[in-house]
Amino acid sequence: MIFKCQNCGGNAIYEPSRKRMYCPHCESMDSENIIHEDSMTKCGNCGAPMTPGQYTSAGKCMHCGSYIVYDERVGGIFEPHSILPFKLNKDMAVERLNQEFHKKTFLPTGFLSQKSLEKLQGIYVPFWLYDYQAHYDFEGEGTKVRSWRQGDTEYTETSYFHIIRQMDADFDKVPVDASFVMDDGEMDLMEPYAYQELEDFDPKYMSGFDGEVYNQSAPELEGRAQVKVRDASEVLMKGSLAGYSSIRPGRKNLNLNRNGVRFVLMPVWMYLYQYQGKTWRFHVNGQTGKVVGKTPVSGKKVILYGLTAMVSVSAFFYLIGGILGML
Amino acid sequence: MREYFRYFKWVFIVLAALTVVLGIVKGVQGFAAMTGTHERTNTECATTQRVFDSADVLSDKEEKKLEELIARREKQTGCDIVLVTLCESLEEYAREIEPDVPYNQFVRIFAEEYYEENNFGYNKPNGDGVILVDNWFREADGKIHTWFCTTGIVKDAYSDADIDHILDEVYRYVENNPYRAYKTYVNEFYRHMTGKRVLNVNMPGWFPILAGIIALVIFVPANWKAGSGKKTTNASTYLEGGVEHFTNKQDIFLRKSVTKRHIESSSGGGGGSRGSGGGGGGGGSHGGGGHSR
Repeated sequence: MIFKCQNCGGNAIYEPSRKRMYCPHCESMDSENIIHEDSMTKCGNCGAPMTPGQYTSAGKCMHCGSYIVYDERVGGIFEPHSILPFKLNKDMAVERLNQEFHKKTFLPTGFLSQKSLEKLQGIYVPFWLYDYQAHYDFEGEGTKVRSWRQGDTEYTETSYFHIIRQMDADFDKVPVDASFVMDDGEMDLMEPYAYQELEDFDPKYMSGFDGEVYNQSAPELEGRAQVKVRDASEVLMKGSLAGYSSIRPGRKNLNLNRNGVRFVLMPVWMYLYQYQGKTWRFHVNGQTGKVVGKTPVSGKKVILYGLTAMVSVSAFFYLIGGILGML
Repeated sequence: MREYFRYFKWVFIVLAALTVVLGIVKGVQGFAAMTGTHERTNTECATTQRVFDSADVLSDKEEKKLEELIARREKQTGCDIVLVTLCESLEEYAREIEPDVPYNQFVRIFAEEYYEENNFGYNKPNGDGVILVDNWFREADGKIHTWFCTTGIVKDAYSDADIDHILDEVYRYVENNPYRAYKTYVNEFYRHMTGKRVLNVNMPGWFPILAGIIALVIFVPANWKAGSGKKTTNASTYLEGGVEHFTNKQDIFLRKSVTKRHIESSSGGGGGSRGSGGGGGGGGSHGGGGHSR
């Protein structure tokens, strides 16, 4: 499908800063008309041939520049339950990136001026959101140690406790990205998203952006969600065992019950920069503005700063030693 | 460059502040030394030396540092502070003066004689002051003997228990670090006489350099590669209502056990025996006591 402006026939897109549909040609608002096109291989606007990728659900026609949302990739089994619309537009995302770059002490001096933008994409990344009910049954033996001195004797008292814990925790919307091209570690770092801004799915939010359907099914990716829930459950359980010097677990049983799973689209800005023959990849959370990505590091700067740290620490102890020696 | 100074702003401020503090401390000490209440009135003592390291257990630098410390402490306490290390048998020497004197008292005789011969004493010859004699030679009884000898006002200020204490402090370090032991002797004496606490820090000369190298070794690898970003979720991010519920939470006391351990009080280098305090040589003008190791 393609969103066309009723007034000028141009391609209407979703504008995050206005939170509305917008026609960049005649600057009309909410003037879109949906034109459906069944073919996946032909542009609904200019008729030019198109070759969308295996998982592409939305993208740009190379010929006329119109943003197309593929009907069959956003309907039926591929229809997302909800979508988190982009909140940051391109300029705001660049602004966030620059803020982040300015915070990097060891960024090579030339990076800001010499880097060249290789690719810039606003992508709706497919995610599965899993709901789990966790039941954690724990029994074990814990010790508390107390020691004190009386004269020349040191007493150590060890108290033994039988610990019983039964914990219920409901985990809601644990996200796992379902896109092969997105690095799992980097996508995990993009979290959290503010879920209260999730909207019922409407393809209009995708006009102006790229998008993908899930590359893998919910059962295939469930393992990653379970790891997250298990890790969180362990942390919560551990929190309830504070105060013990040592713990010997006897029975440990963590049961996860999946309550529900939803397919959603999350907004991510992707930036690829070229700098000194290498590609540097950054992701900006399209909702919160969180920046994820490795920046280049200037070895010269690190060494200069390191040497300064070395001299400073030595000087610090010399001075302290000098002062204390005089007292 | 601006970035560099911004990054190290607080480091440089702290270093500058410490430099100023050091300057002030030095200035105050210098001023106090010039206007010190205790003026040395002994004109017959021919030497300004206080550290006589015949056993050669101190380096030249350590001797110099001890001399400086003693010079300050003398003005603050109004007492001469003398340190003698030896490495020779005193048997013949001591038995000539007192024929039946026991092994552990040889150092006492030496200390008293040495103090008198050199006319030590802050107010007058053989006046207020202390001398520590540490003879690293093992006498025929197989032991190293040490004597702490008091004269003048110090004699009254030190009880037997006080003498044991200062010698214990010296013996804590003497085997492994003679410099630290003798520095402790000077500072401990100062503390006892003035009631002022001494920060007994003993920072070896290599320590600041090592600390600097450690800083470098930590800093460079930690910053050599940039991370992707910080994790901004925790265990309760996806927890409904933000809390977990415990349907059963019990901590049942089972039993307790108590173990006892005897703590060895650390004194002397391996069972030092103690000499009696208040040895009365030199016409009763000296006090003191000894330890052996």
